[in-house]
Amino acid sequence: MQTTHRPFRFFTGRSVLYLVLFLSSILMIVPFYWTLGTSLKLEQFIFANPPQWLPNPVTIQHFVDVLTRIHFYRYFLNSLIVAVTATLGHVFFDTLAAYAFAKLNFPGRDQIFFLMLLGLMVPFQVNMIPLYRIMGAFHWVDTYAALIIPNITSIFGIFLMRQFLLSIPNDLLDAARIDGCSEFGVFRRVVLPLALPGVATLVIFTFMGIWNDFLWPRIVTNSEALFTLPVGLAQLQLKNTSNEGQIMAGTVLTALPMIIVFLFMQRQFIEGMTAGAIKE
Amino acid sequence: MTAATFPKSVTRFMHKYAIAYLFIAVPILSIILFLVIPMVVSFWWSLNDYSGLQAPKFVALNNYVELLTHDKIFIKSLFNTTLFVLLGMTLGPTLGLLTALMLNQKVRFQSFFRTAYYLPVMTSLVVVSTIWIMLYNQNGLFNTILLNLGLSRVGWLSDPKLALLSVVFASVWQGFGFETVIFLAALQSIPRELYEAAMIDGAGALQQFWYVTVPKLRPVIVFVYIIGIIGSYQVFDQVFVMTLGGPVYSTETIVYYLYAKFRDLRLGYASAIAYILFFILVIFSYLQWRVSRGRED
Repeated sequence: MQTTHRPFRFFTGRSVLYLVLFLSSILMIVPFYWTLGTSLKLEQFIFANPPQWLPNPVTIQHFVDVLTRIHFYRYFLNSLIVAVTATLGHVFFDTLAAYAFAKLNFPGRDQIFFLMLLGLMVPFQVNMIPLYRIMGAFHWVDTYAALIIPNITSIFGIFLMRQFLLSIPNDLLDAARIDGCSEFGVFRRVVLPLALPGVATLVIFTFMGIWNDFLWPRIVTNSEALFTLPVGLAQLQLKNTSNEGQIMAGTVLTALPMIIVFLFMQRQFIEGMTAGAIKE
Repeated sequence: MTAATFPKSVTRFMHKYAIAYLFIAVPILSIILFLVIPMVVSFWWSLNDYSGLQAPKFVALNNYVELLTHDKIFIKSLFNTTLFVLLGMTLGPTLGLLTALMLNQKVRFQSFFRTAYYLPVMTSLVVVSTIWIMLYNQNGLFNTILLNLGLSRVGWLSDPKLALLSVVFASVWQGFGFETVIFLAALQSIPRELYEAAMIDGAGALQQFWYVTVPKLRPVIVFVYIIGIIGSYQVFDQVFVMTLGGPVYSTETIVYYLYAKFRDLRLGYASAIAYILFFILVIFSYLQWRVSRGRED
């Protein structure tokens, strides 16, 4: 019944607490609202003083511009192709490898796993430049292959899934083996279904990371037909021919898909994010 | 005899373990090809003068010496990046902890507030940067508000004294919701009995916070700082979109400078920058590992 065990008793006034929470939330949301509003304003009202809090009149011209003249739908399609393909790769390869590391015995297993964990510490910039040259050697620069193939598996993903698979009881796996399942059968029929909550976390991390990635796609693509959303948006921002309304329309189109997915899958997102940080 | 049994044992070995090696084959190949080989090559290039067009010319540690003693812009970028990390890692986790403590007070609309703090974490840094460029504009929302309050305009991104700070603000706004969510989950996992026991011992609210909450949060705090420092030292997207390193190198950061040298085809020089960054991150990781281990003992 008592709430006195809670720290921060100096928030005794609940109204002060709510006031601070509401004000800070508004500070978080206003920039998004302002972006959406700006994308719907006529150019001459965008920097008006006093600020126009409600676009009047509302125009969708900027959206028409970025979708027809700048082909933002193409960037969207590229982002989708790259993120979906790479995420599917992660689900299959990371989980499969994690299963081997968590549940199968083979010589060198723990040593290989330890070496992989060391690799987690390497910042991407260290291998980025030679990686670019390798893409060149394969003739993959400026193709989907360069965006996807180096991204179909990750040490972090294997680590995450291994932690998850360790909790699956061995008896279940043995039962399936006695029933005549091959190792791959055990993986597909027993492990994968049981690992689904972990897979959800993996999907969220991977999809978000690839969808929002900028440095690698910026370096490895030159032609506009292959730009992902962040690369296309940055390009739009740097072009001095683009106007503020178009940039904001591009911003809305880049941010919206991720925000919608987040609002629908909030619980999984939050659980996924905290899974790695807090051990029971 | 041995010649006959040897292949048999190999066959048995293959039969027993082949499937496991097959399961890890793609990730291992991918790691060797896309991480290990590039890492080694990158280190070799960092010891060479290499443009990617001619053959590498071995110069030993010259690139490193040049960077750390003569290259004023690189030294500036080291300084700027460190300042960015210090400011960001002071503001971000503090805001994250404060908001988490507030949300942990059994408030109504908790999920609404949490969503509000977390929303920018979902969006790409490029999006966040384009939004904040508009807010920071000469005639943007911030300056309009200042004018209406009777104050004068501020050159958020054009004043060399202010530009880095403006980039920090945008980045903290983007990222602290991650810390809110992590800290909130950690706070909720602290057993209530601990607070009750502390109360019976006569601990006040602040003492409970200091002697129960803080020690229980310590592993999570270490986690947040490791992730945060490693991530912040690699700051690039915001600089690329918002400032291009300017004005007068006031927002030049390590990775932005590396990118510039890569574009200039100074691949050896850029690789040396990457290894200096790596070295800094290794030192930080080691220090944090020591700190977290020392406390547990």
